[in-house]
Amino acid sequence: MLVLKITRWLLGYARFSVLGGSPERFFSACARGGIYLWDIAGRPNSGACVAARSYRRMRRSARRAGCRLRVRARRGLPFLLHRTRAHAGLWAGAAAFAAVLYLLSLHVWCVQVAGNAAVPTERILAALSAEGLSPGTRKKDVDPEMLAQRVMLRFPQIRWMTVNTQGCVAQAVVQEKVGKPELADLSRIRNIKAAATGQILSMKVYAGTPLVRKGDAVVRGQLLVSAVVEDQRGGNTLKPASAEILAETSHTLTVSVGLQRSRWEPTGAVVVRRNLDLYGARLPLTLRVRPRGTWRVSREKTDLRLFGNILPAGTYTERWEEVRPVRYTLTKAQAREEAVREADRKAKALLRGGKVLSSAPSEKWGKDGLQYTVKLDCAENIAEESEIFIKP
Amino acid sequence: MRNRENPLGSLADLGIPFHLELNGNREAVVEGCCGVLEYGGGVVRVRTKRQVIRFTGRGLVIRCLTADALVVAGYITGIEFLG
Repeated sequence: MLVLKITRWLLGYARFSVLGGSPERFFSACARGGIYLWDIAGRPNSGACVAARSYRRMRRSARRAGCRLRVRARRGLPFLLHRTRAHAGLWAGAAAFAAVLYLLSLHVWCVQVAGNAAVPTERILAALSAEGLSPGTRKKDVDPEMLAQRVMLRFPQIRWMTVNTQGCVAQAVVQEKVGKPELADLSRIRNIKAAATGQILSMKVYAGTPLVRKGDAVVRGQLLVSAVVEDQRGGNTLKPASAEILAETSHTLTVSVGLQRSRWEPTGAVVVRRNLDLYGARLPLTLRVRPRGTWRVSREKTDLRLFGNILPAGTYTERWEEVRPVRYTLTKAQAREEAVREADRKAKALLRGGKVLSSAPSEKWGKDGLQYTVKLDCAENIAEESEIFIKP
Repeated sequence: MRNRENPLGSLADLGIPFHLELNGNREAVVEGCCGVLEYGGGVVRVRTKRQVIRFTGRGLVIRCLTADALVVAGYITGIEFLG
């Protein structure tokens, strides 16, 4: 029925009243004459609807029945076009809109990446753009297979990739390689030597023959666990030694902190440049040029979204802030704090999982700054593998 | 309106004066009618070849009308066959 209503509206129809005479004779005469009427109303307000092109043909039937016809309403597309004929711009605008929408739908509006974890999305998007897929690319120019092969050559971490086009959105689906776990190489024969000088606190020997005991003092490079294993019958075999040997060691770290510093301070002058990103093209919205001198810039890109989908339009804003170098002097407390932080960082990198049992810091102030020295007593794993090369 | 094709010919050829089909008391389809005699005030009178059929009821409207058939809709309370 909806189709019937739409068809009647597209062709145009008129609602009319029948005045005087015999409306019944009029309706019967119309029916015999092949004029189709609908929504026929009886007395006292006789009337009906008829297709616009059939209205003139009813005059004869009306004359025969002695009736007069009066149009009450004209509905439909032909009447709408006639009413708005003075406003041709409306129809031209509507036609232009339809044409622009059709042309835009032939291009890719946005590119999305899914399935990546280790490889950043920005790098994949940059690679896709370099291979010819970016907002504004024609959909028929997108070759998913060739695109996927070329991008995968750039990223060895990606083991599978495809590009799907759904509507105006191109989605690159990526699957990354799963890294192989590190396997211990049991074919290489190795001893365990001491990585640092200290006193052994505890030992866990998994393979090999231990040559030291808990409580022994060892020096750096000393053999702690041998790869030679003697069996009960006196025979020797070579096995890769493995052990965890926790020892108390001593380290001295020195950090120098200068008091004279320089930093960049904003002068207060700010220049904001805004651009409109449309289909990959950048259109400036402000007429300000890039400033000269020493400026710090921050950039912000905002994409327009519709129902969660990124549109090929957005804004790109650059905020330029003028800066100047300013000299300043650290206070003693600030210098000390910085020295302690740096010493902690060095200790963490040195110990690799070990812990500091005690520390004895000392400071030496000079005209250039602070020399901060800390003597650390640590508990760390000093087992270090040392491969034995055997000539066949 | 349903388009009923009779493989044997029209109703007149078969000697059938008219064909009346009722859907409950809400709709009546009359095939073989010649015209409308009265329409309004809860009464619809239809002329066929040999008889006149009078529909009475509430809110009766002629849904559609062609040369040889019509559809009466509404609350039909009575149908009379007049000579």
